[in-house]
Amino acid sequence: MASAPHVAVIGGGSTGTGIARDLAMRGLDVTLVEQGNLTHGTTGRMHGLLHSGGRYAVSDQKSAEECIEENRVLREIASHCVEMTGGLFVKRPEDSEEYFREKLAGCRECGIPAEVVSAEEARAMEPHLAPDIDKAIRVPDGAVDPFRLVVANAASAQEHGARIETHSTVTDLLVENGEVVGLEIEHDSGTGKRVHGTVGGTEELRADYVVNATGAWAGRIGDMAGLDVEVRPSKGVMTVMNTRQVDTVINRCRPKGDADIVVPHETTCILGTTDEEVADPEDYPEEKWEVEKMLDTLTELVPMLAEARTIRSFWGVRPLYEPPDVGSENPTDITRDFFLLDHEERDDLPGMTSIVGGKFTTYRMMAEQISNHVCGKFGVDADCETAEVPLPGSEEFSVLRDYMDEFGLRSPIGRRSVERLGSRADEILTTDGPNPTVCSCEGVTRAEIQDAVDQSGSDLNAVRIRTRASMGNCQGGFCSHRMANELHGEYDAATVRKAWDELLQERWKGQRHALWGEQLSQAMLNYALHATTQNRDSDPADGAPVDFSAFDGGTSDTAGAVDAGIATDGGRDGD
Amino acid sequence: MVDVSDAESPPDFDPVEPNAGEEFDPVDVFPDSTEFDLRPGSDSCYKCSTCDTNCPVAEVDDDFPGPKFQGPEQWRLKQNEDDYRVDDSVMDCSNCMRCDNACPSGVPLSQMHNTARGEYVAEEMSKTSVEYWRNRVLANYRTSAWLASKVPSVANFAMNFGPARWLMEKTMGITAEYEFPGFAAETFRDWWAREGAAAGSRERAREARERRGEDVDADKRVAYFHGCYSNYNTPEVGKAMVRVFEQFGYEVVVPEQGCSGTPMFANGMLPDARRHAEVNVSSMSDLVDQGYDAIASCTSCSMALRQEYPELFDIEGIEDVAAHTFESVEYLRIHEDLRGEIAEADVDGDLAAEFAYHAPCHARNQGLERQSVELFRDLDGVGIEDVGDSCSGISGTYGWKEEKHEKSMEIGEEMFEHMEAAEGTTGMTECPTCAMQMEHGTGYEIRHPLELLEAALVD
Ligand SMILES: Cc1cc2nc3c(=O)[nH]c(=O)nc-3n(C[C@H](O)[C@H](O)[C@H](O)COP(=O)(O)OP(=O)(O)OC[C@H]3O[C@@H](n4cnc5c(N)ncnc54)[C@H](O)[C@@H]3O)c2cc1C
Ligand code: SF4
Ligand code: SF4
Repeated sequence: MASAPHVAVIGGGSTGTGIARDLAMRGLDVTLVEQGNLTHGTTGRMHGLLHSGGRYAVSDQKSAEECIEENRVLREIASHCVEMTGGLFVKRPEDSEEYFREKLAGCRECGIPAEVVSAEEARAMEPHLAPDIDKAIRVPDGAVDPFRLVVANAASAQEHGARIETHSTVTDLLVENGEVVGLEIEHDSGTGKRVHGTVGGTEELRADYVVNATGAWAGRIGDMAGLDVEVRPSKGVMTVMNTRQVDTVINRCRPKGDADIVVPHETTCILGTTDEEVADPEDYPEEKWEVEKMLDTLTELVPMLAEARTIRSFWGVRPLYEPPDVGSENPTDITRDFFLLDHEERDDLPGMTSIVGGKFTTYRMMAEQISNHVCGKFGVDADCETAEVPLPGSEEFSVLRDYMDEFGLRSPIGRRSVERLGSRADEILTTDGPNPTVCSCEGVTRAEIQDAVDQSGSDLNAVRIRTRASMGNCQGGFCSHRMANELHGEYDAATVRKAWDELLQERWKGQRHALWGEQLSQAMLNYALHATTQNRDSDPADGAPVDFSAFDGGTSDTAGAVDAGIATDGGRDGD
Repeated sequence: MVDVSDAESPPDFDPVEPNAGEEFDPVDVFPDSTEFDLRPGSDSCYKCSTCDTNCPVAEVDDDFPGPKFQGPEQWRLKQNEDDYRVDDSVMDCSNCMRCDNACPSGVPLSQMHNTARGEYVAEEMSKTSVEYWRNRVLANYRTSAWLASKVPSVANFAMNFGPARWLMEKTMGITAEYEFPGFAAETFRDWWAREGAAAGSRERAREARERRGEDVDADKRVAYFHGCYSNYNTPEVGKAMVRVFEQFGYEVVVPEQGCSGTPMFANGMLPDARRHAEVNVSSMSDLVDQGYDAIASCTSCSMALRQEYPELFDIEGIEDVAAHTFESVEYLRIHEDLRGEIAEADVDGDLAAEFAYHAPCHARNQGLERQSVELFRDLDGVGIEDVGDSCSGISGTYGWKEEKHEKSMEIGEEMFEHMEAAEGTTGMTECPTCAMQMEHGTGYEIRHPLELLEAALVD
């Protein structure tokens, strides 16, 4: 047999990594190229809802059916990324009774298990729901961690021989004789794991086939070969609360509208969202009114949100697509379905297919269809196994363990860790050395951080999305430097500083939209700490090795060691 | 109408016979009540760690993760899972409540610890373990004290009888280091009954008001919460309280009451604490309705009624009782010219001494840590010196536990040193267990501020 066809997949979101996994499992030779970290695009900026399909049960039944099907699949294959919280569609007195009935009927038509619960039952499930609600419909919504799921897909693809290149931007499509034959790639820091300061370079990657899975960016990739891919990016805001006011997904039961859903997510819950068309998926305004709207409107469902602490807000852009002849005015009317655009059939340009639209929840199904399509091109006859084979980390595991006995960890810390690591927990958490907690808000220990560093190089944002370190209430105030410290040894000071800077920047970005009340105090404390104890307000040493003797010569190392009773940390010897 | 009679309330469980937990009904740790919601508390924490630096246990015990972890952090990490286990380290917190006082952001740390500890004991601690029963016996000190008070002389001998103590340490984990507190030959309540109880007090208070030139019908009425210790062990404190208050023209009643719950909170025995709280709140709230204020001579008792009850229990009238509870000297400072009277007075006899005063942590939490020093420094015939702001280390039952005793003494070290450096050789504090520790560490005799007030003001 000739060597396996080589497929280049552009885009390291849920769609791209899902495709890479599927194709690699079917024996194809895969290279995935992503301009940032995995989940850099929309996938890292979504709401975390594992749809039951209920939200689309009236307006978009095809999507709804796909959702419930994939919802069931992901519970099995991605158990360590999913929390089956259940969901409610809550009707307030002013919401339409007719729509409530349509919603219930729609769910049943689409095969979504749905039952009506009284206000009392709903409030027994969720005591913080507004006391004056009418009733609710209960559906199997869930919460999903997009970071973990994408990382697991990429890891599985790698296990099946795929090459994953992050921080590598596709700058052009190679077109020869009227056919796409590969990509031109600009590597930020060489190939493989990211290491700051490594010289990058351009690579011409030849491929037998190219899959464009760049979501909201799909039009730009199309442009590189003169193709028209009309993605209509639409932005939405999400606001992260410090704690979980609800443990169930709470949807407002009304036709459509902004600020109608609260999704519990790990230690937090996330309010969302808006739907506003934007011109550029990377450059759009992040506006205060959007955040205010989340809090004001959702307070009608969960009153205590009004007084609760907000830790950050973030925005994402939906990669909405509709066939050119539809022409919806309003982005909320655009279907959430996905489309396969084979550019050979559509534009007479063989060698590439774009996949656009869709949702996170249906990523696997999208990947399956496009993989079937690609395999068809090459006459590869291999079954799709992604609906049965669990992702790395989602094999059998239990969270009911004696964490102190087994791992020397305080029980809530061990539990959170095992929930994140799933079946990989034993391998990662069994360590010889000391295993201190690095991020105490989220309960992340050194072992987990080191595992993430092993996977992703000197990139602390990549460590963050793998572990949740720095994603808790202090937003990195007390752990960023400790995370940076974990890079030390393997990476030199200049690299560590760059990585640390990037993490602080990223943490600050979202907090800018939460600067009142407690989070403002937090930000002030973080600032004071970082500025006064770490010189982070203005670092003269950035980029260059630090000349410590310029600050305080102190006693030299050799002299210090014999100095009577004084240890180098200034304490007494033995302290 | 509440029973203001002075009947002895019987103990409500027999510590000798473990019931293996079948009848144990865990307290509802209010999963679905919004009143005790800890979210706002968790929201308030910005991780500054001030609480950790103020925790006396964390200072001496490297394995104790500290209040920040026990409180807001653990709460946030385990918030969403019913089957999440509370970490067993919460049993190492002594419930000194210094963290509450230290937090610049108002995080209800001790409420979080108490809730978590209650959950730990109800759901994870084996109800047949020695530790559970040892803690239960310690927490229900009132029951043992009630038994002992029946035959005080035998109890005093037996409790401090060497071989018996050795056995207690080996089998129960109760340290043999401390002297067991002596049981008074006559309890405070027996004395009170002999003195004519409420009717007698009304009489004496009237006379005092007349003598003081006040309106004889003035509405000066307090309900005394004596707690276990001044009833069984130091009735002289209770007597001093009554005499001082009557001297100022207050009619005292001594309602039916149980334990304040302090040792039960510290041991996570919330169902026990609740049972006692129900009795206390019910008798006190009737009295509060009639215009009485609740007065405690023990700072931990006043703390329990004021802060822990409303934080932990949803009992009718609890908020009112909390708002009308005061520590005894605090109450007189508010309503009387205590300072002025002290300045006029002088003391001789055995209380004309130099005192080394230690402020109990629970007094600190109520903002009372300076009141004794500031009052008595103007009193002729005595001297008083504050021995600093450290914790005595005993924290009620903490120091009594065999495995904690050494740490308890390590925590107390600073206080011992400061006491020794102070001029006086008599100690003073409001808290009976701090007094025990002070005596244990220095050999000094320890007095209660009310005793000194009595010596100064009561003729
Ligand atoms: C506000 C909001 C909330 C949402 N909530 C939910 C939800 O709760 N549940 C749900 O199921 N779905 C949700 N969605 C939809 C879901 O997030 C997306 O459909 C899904 O994440 C899209 O994934 P993707 O891989 O197709 O796109 P992306 O994640 O955007 O991936 C595309 C990737 O391509 C990369 N890329 C672009 N150009 C280049 C280039 N030139 N070179 C290399 N790489 C490139 C980008 O960096 C990006 O990482 C939400 C969407 C939004 C906007
Ligand atoms: S002192 Fe208060 S704000 Fe600071 S860490 Fe402790 S609980 Fe949090
Ligand atoms: S109550 Fe005392 S011992 Fe317990 S955590 Fe707070 S400061 Fe530490």
